[in-house]
This record gives sequence, structure tokens and C-alpha cells, in this order.
Amino acid sequence: MQDQDTKSLWGDAFSRLVRDRWALISLIIVLAYSLIALLASFGVGVPDWKTSMGAEYLPPGGSLWLGTDLFGRDVFAKVIHGTKIAMSVGLVTSLIAIPIGVVIGALAGYFGGWIDDIISWFITTFSSIPNIMLLISITLILGKGLTSVYLALGMTGWVGLARLIRGEVMKHKEREYVQAAGAIGGGHLRKLFIHILPNVTHLVIINTSLQFQTAIKSEVILSYLGLGVQGEPSWGTMIDDARMELARGVWWQLAGATVAMFIVVLAFNILGDALRDALDPKLKGK
Amino acid sequence: MERPLLSIQDLTVDFITRDNSMRAVDKISFDVPMGKTVGIVGESGSGKSVTSLAIMRLLPQPPANISGKILFDGTDLLALPDDEMRKIRGNKIAMIFQEPMTSLNPVFKTGAQVAETLMLHRGMDKKTAWEKAIDLFNEVGIPNPSQKVHAYPHEMSGGQKQRVMIAMAIACDPKLLICDEPTTALDVTIQKQVIELLQGLQEKHRMSMLFITHDLGVIADVADEVVVMYRSKMVEKDKTRSIFEKSNHPYTKGLIACRPDLGANPKRLLTVSDFMDEEGNSLKVTKERVQVFEKNYEAKNDSPILLEVKDLHTHFPIKGGLFGRKVGEVKAVDGVSFQLKRGKTLGLVGESGCGKTTLGRTILRLIEPTSGSISYEGKDITHLPNEQMRLLRRKMQIIFQDPYSSLNPRMTVGEILTEPLVVHGLGGGKSERLNTAKELMEKVGLKANQLNRYPHEFSGGQRQRICIARALMLRPEFVICDESVSALDVSIQAQVLNLLLDLQQEFKLTYIFISHDLGVVNFISDEVGVMNKGKLVEMDRADRIYKNPREEYTKTLLSAIPKGLPKNLEAFLS
Repeated sequence: MQDQDTKSLWGDAFSRLVRDRWALISLIIVLAYSLIALLASFGVGVPDWKTSMGAEYLPPGGSLWLGTDLFGRDVFAKVIHGTKIAMSVGLVTSLIAIPIGVVIGALAGYFGGWIDDIISWFITTFSSIPNIMLLISITLILGKGLTSVYLALGMTGWVGLARLIRGEVMKHKEREYVQAAGAIGGGHLRKLFIHILPNVTHLVIINTSLQFQTAIKSEVILSYLGLGVQGEPSWGTMIDDARMELARGVWWQLAGATVAMFIVVLAFNILGDALRDALDPKLKGK
Repeated sequence: MERPLLSIQDLTVDFITRDNSMRAVDKISFDVPMGKTVGIVGESGSGKSVTSLAIMRLLPQPPANISGKILFDGTDLLALPDDEMRKIRGNKIAMIFQEPMTSLNPVFKTGAQVAETLMLHRGMDKKTAWEKAIDLFNEVGIPNPSQKVHAYPHEMSGGQKQRVMIAMAIACDPKLLICDEPTTALDVTIQKQVIELLQGLQEKHRMSMLFITHDLGVIADVADEVVVMYRSKMVEKDKTRSIFEKSNHPYTKGLIACRPDLGANPKRLLTVSDFMDEEGNSLKVTKERVQVFEKNYEAKNDSPILLEVKDLHTHFPIKGGLFGRKVGEVKAVDGVSFQLKRGKTLGLVGESGCGKTTLGRTILRLIEPTSGSISYEGKDITHLPNEQMRLLRRKMQIIFQDPYSSLNPRMTVGEILTEPLVVHGLGGGKSERLNTAKELMEKVGLKANQLNRYPHEFSGGQRQRICIARALMLRPEFVICDESVSALDVSIQAQVLNLLLDLQQEFKLTYIFISHDLGVVNFISDEVGVMNKGKLVEMDRADRIYKNPREEYTKTLLSAIPKGLPKNLEAFLS
């Protein structure tokens, strides 16, 4: 510890993360899905799902890796398009839910008193409503479609994070380093945003990875129920289609969608776990 | 010669992890004779606790790799199978830990926890075990034992909890009692009672004790023999008296010398580095370093009054009931008045919960007072609006107790040190601010090129120096040191105290020094205030408080300090 270069905390956490083999594999999977989604949204280098490639219900084989559906469309191309939908739902809902969760949680935890009472009441009320019910009513009000899915999932996803951040901020508020910031003349904003929040960011990152996969799963459920994506393939609509197909022995549409979803959800879970280990300051040095 | 109860031979403990291995205990050998007490002293990280855990076989293997022999009553504990060891642990060898708050299970009645030990090791039925538990509570001096066995840990004070721990430890008449810093978390008066209790029990049950502590004063009171550990090695082992009178190893000398004495002290405390250089070679101590310093208590009597506190009260509401109604209040500070002249140091002593920390924070208005007044340089600041208070914070600073939690782990030292300047928009541009930080880093004994490090890369003593540097960045006039050296090892504590004295001289500082350690307060203060239950019971010139205390409470506090053996400064010359 004498004069060698010091590693930044984030760099240190990253090197610990990639030392874990499964975490590294999960990270690569997540990055690969993101890349596919990005390419698909620009229509670069991905197969076309709209045009018919051959007869209906062709089994997997040849250039059609996952066969075709009722209209003779390429199932693999539909899975790719579904990836784009899933990743965009994960990203957009996280972008909506996380700022709300962090700000609300931080305000409640930091100021306490009546502000906390009101926010806590709000959080408790919100989380006592069954999630799917709330999602369904939001999509019914806003109309079916991707935008409604974004909003519905974004508006419900912040609750858990807000509660977590509230508790953490409460804990950190009493720490001496925050009191020290007060003693040198720092105001509330400085204490909250410069001192406390950087110390809870790791929770936000871990939460994002879990939020992401919850959103993906919820989108699939909503689309399966016919409340989600309309007029384009998503993993949920594909699974919905498969209801009719399985009786005829057509398994590839179901398999394609579920395996694609399974892999990314698992990867996010493992990554979230590994992030917790790598970022948690309490585990440092163990 | 009689066979010793415990004989440790060439004990070595390595911790092996994926990346590196660390030797925690390096080939130590010592004996604990029947019925005697052996003390192990050393600073944190010297391997003393690891030694005790190795004896109990409580170290998980791996990562620990233990070699050598631990002979207990002739059997090698390291060679015993696990279930044999379980019969010895808690039965023939018992252990008391440092933290009574966390070593008792909060959801079980204390009596049940004692009875459990009896049922487990002695095969007693529930009724007999509970009866025996009541006897044990009585023996360790818990009042109303037949009622107190039904109390939960949170219903007891720290001292009582430690007594319950002792009751559990002696429940099975162990032959060896290992005490790992059993009194460190307790107040001096409670510490004295616990030590007396342990000594009484030892005599009655003819136990041997292995007493681990960093406090040489306690060791001198309890131990027959002392083992000194330094950096995983045993550097010295001798009869307690001989260790104090003529220690051989420079580290031991330093350890004995660095404790501030209640009587005479040199102008700057001696530290381990006066006796030993980095490589462990002995150094000669110069004559002037050991000269007794006569403090001139009247020196700054004609300087103006900097701080005046009048009838200050800080009360905290106790909330209860269904809607959090206020059901009562804690009078943390209950009518305190005093004056402090510029350039002087006021020491505030008292036991935990006496309100000394709340008083300090109320003076800085980090906690709002309930009533009374605080004036600084003749100006009443009790109700100063926040904006003006912010400006005043340049002049008044605080150094906290815990160097681990008072630095933001996500900021570099450079960011931490320049922040006060940023907040007040002082000190010019970024590079100028960093230059000021570098200067102060050197003033507090750190290297200027360590500014881009994070706090976790520093040791406890170094972190406390960073905290001191941060407090000084705004060039304050008045600094409150709130238990600022309590979390540090004695040898580090001496260095930091010396540093605080040097800085006081250089920056013309006025200090309020809050501590539970009367020795430390005596060394640093011109005046001393004794606090009890929110009130300032006695305040006087430091030497007068120590030589002829007037109040009963002050007398109790002073008599509870472990006496140790008086040190002779001249003796360190040889």
C-alpha cells in the first residue's frame, strides 16, 4: 500500500466481477442480447420477419433454423425481433422506474418526519395493489401497445427500489461522515447528493439488473394476455400463438421464445448476484 | 515442576486465501500455569485474538492453517477430533468476548442462555438448570437474580450483560477461562467491578485465566505473567512486575511509555517510534524526551473568553404509544454552564451516556439546543440562522471518534480534504486547493502524494490524521475532539495526541477534548469538566481535579482507573 497506483473503487469492483467465471459469461450474454436488440432496431444484419419464407409450419432445418409459423414466416427472425422488444421494455422501464425510485426513496429516508410518512403511505398503498391488476388497468386506460407496456411497467417498478433506498439513506444519514459534511458547513443537497447517494449507487446497479429481467418477464405475461405488444412479434405473443400449435406438434415457436427468454433472465439473475458480491462495500477484503 | 494447565508450543497460524497468504501468529510458545493469570498484550492485528481462537479451535480451516501444539492438561487440542473438542469447549475451557451487546442472543431470556449451557454440558434437567442459573446470577453479582433470569438482554445494562456472559462461562466450572478484551467496551467504573469479579471467581474456582487486552493498566492489575505480541510474533514474556520494571524489547518499552500517566508526563508523549525504528532496531531515548513537563496552567488566563455556555439544555423526546406521542424526554444535557478562554483546552470526561457527546454537538449546533445559550466570541449563536451558522463553521470544527465511519468511502482523500474549501468557496482554484491539502497532509504526518487514495487504503491512525487535516482545512480557531483517540491503539493514540498538541501551538487552537479516558484528558487539558447524567458535576484546573477531587462522583471515577504500575520516566533512558 506504499506508493503503487491506487485502483478506483469501480475499477476494483469490475475486476472482481470478471474474475467470477459465471458472472463474466452472464455479462457477455447480456451484452450480446443488447447488441442484437440494437442491430434489430436499426434493421442491420438481422433477418426479416415480415415476409413469408415458405410453407406454413415448416420444421427447423436448412436455412430456417427454427422453422416457420402459420404464415410461413421465419421463427428465428421473430425471436430476434422479440429480443429487441424485450430489451427495449427492460431499458425503458428501468429508465422510468429507477429515477422515481431513487428520488422518492432518498427524500423519504433523508428528511424523515411528515415527508417520510406521506411517501411511506404512498409506497405501502402502491405495493398492496396486485401488480398484474394494476398493469392491466393501466394498459386498458392508455390503450394496448408498446407505449402502454413501458409506462405500466415503469410506473409500478419503482416501489421496491424506493423502499430499499429509503432504508439505506436512513442508515447513512446517521453516519459520521455525513455529520462531518454538516460540520464543515455542507447543506442538505450536498449531504444527500454528494455524500449519501454515491454510497448507495451500488444498490441501484444491482436493482437495475433485477428490474430489467422482471420487466422482460412482465412484458411476456402482458403480451401473452393480449394486453401488450400488438401487430409485431414478441416472446409473449409467440408463446400465445403456440397454444394452438402444440396440439399439432409444432413446438419450435414456443421453444424459440422460451429458451431466448430463459437465457437472458438467468444471465441477469446471475449478474445481479455477482454485482452484489462485487459492489458491496461490506464484503470488501473477505 | 508442576505441569502447566495450558502449554502452547510453536503455535503458527496462517490465513491462506486465493490471492495471498498471511501469517497471523508466528511460532509463539508460552505456558499458563494452574490457577494463574497470563496476559497477552499487543495492538490490534498483532495476533492476540487469533491465538485465543486457535486455542478454542474456533478458527475455520481453511482459510486458517494451524501448526504447532496446544497442550491442555496434557492433550493436544489440535489433534482432537471435532466432537471431543466440543466437549472441552464451553466445559473445560470457556471464553468471554469483548462485546457483551452482541454475544448474547437477543431473543432468548438471559437465564435460558445460561441454563442451556448447563443442560448441554452437564446433562441437567430444565428445572435444576434454571435453579443453578439463579445461583450463578447471584454469584456474578446481578441484583435480584431470581427475577433477572427472566430478563432479555436488552433489559440489562452493558455491565450486567458482561456478568451474564461470565455466568455462562463459569457455569461448568472451567479450568481455563479465556477473556478476550472483556472490559474494553465498558466504562471505567464497570470495568473495575468486572475485573474484581473475575479475580474473585478465579480464586474461588481455582481457574487459570488467559487475559487478552491492549490495555497495559488492566494487565498490570490482573496478570501474573505477561506475553507481549507484536506483528504476529511474541517479542517478550516475563513476570508482570519485571515487564513493567525492566522490559527488554524496545516495543514493550514503547508500549509502557506511551500511556499517558495520571501523574507526571513528558511534554510530548513517548511513542514506540522513540524506542524502535521501522526495521525493529532499538533506538536510544534522549534525556529531554523523558523530562517531566510541568504544565503552566495559568499561562493563558488573561486571554479573552472564546466560548461561553449558559444553562444549556438538550432534551430528546421519547416517543411511544399508538401515534408516536411524546411520552417523556431524555435530558441528555441538563443545565450546563462554563466558559472557555482562547488557546486553552477543556477536557470533558464522563461515562457513556453522560451527555458529553451531545454537549459537544449542541455547542456546534449540529443538534439544536432545547434551551439556554451558547455565545462565541461574545456573540450569541444559539438561534443564529442557518446561513450565518454556515459561515461560522469555518471557525469551529469537530473531529469525530470513529476514523472508519467519518470518512466517505467513495471519495478520495483529496476530495475529502478540499471539500470544506469548495463548500465555502475558498482557497482559489482546484490546483491551489489541492496544494493546501498537500501542505496539511504533511503537517499531520502523511505523504502529500497519497491524495488520490481512498480511505480504505489507510490504517486507523492514518485515517484519524486525515480527519484532523480535514478539520484544519478551514483554519478554524476552535476544535471539538469527540473521543478522537479512543478507537486507536495506545501507541497510535500517543502519536495523535502529540500531533494535536503540536497543531494547537502552530494554529493557536482552542480545544474541547471529550473522552472517557481520564489519563488522556489529564495529559492534554488545562481544565477538566466531569459530566454525569447530563450535568457538569465538577469543573476545575486539571491538576486540581486529579489531586483533590471534591465531588463524590469524580472520586469514584478516579478510583476506578486501573492503577497499573507507576512508570519511571528516567528508567527509559537505559
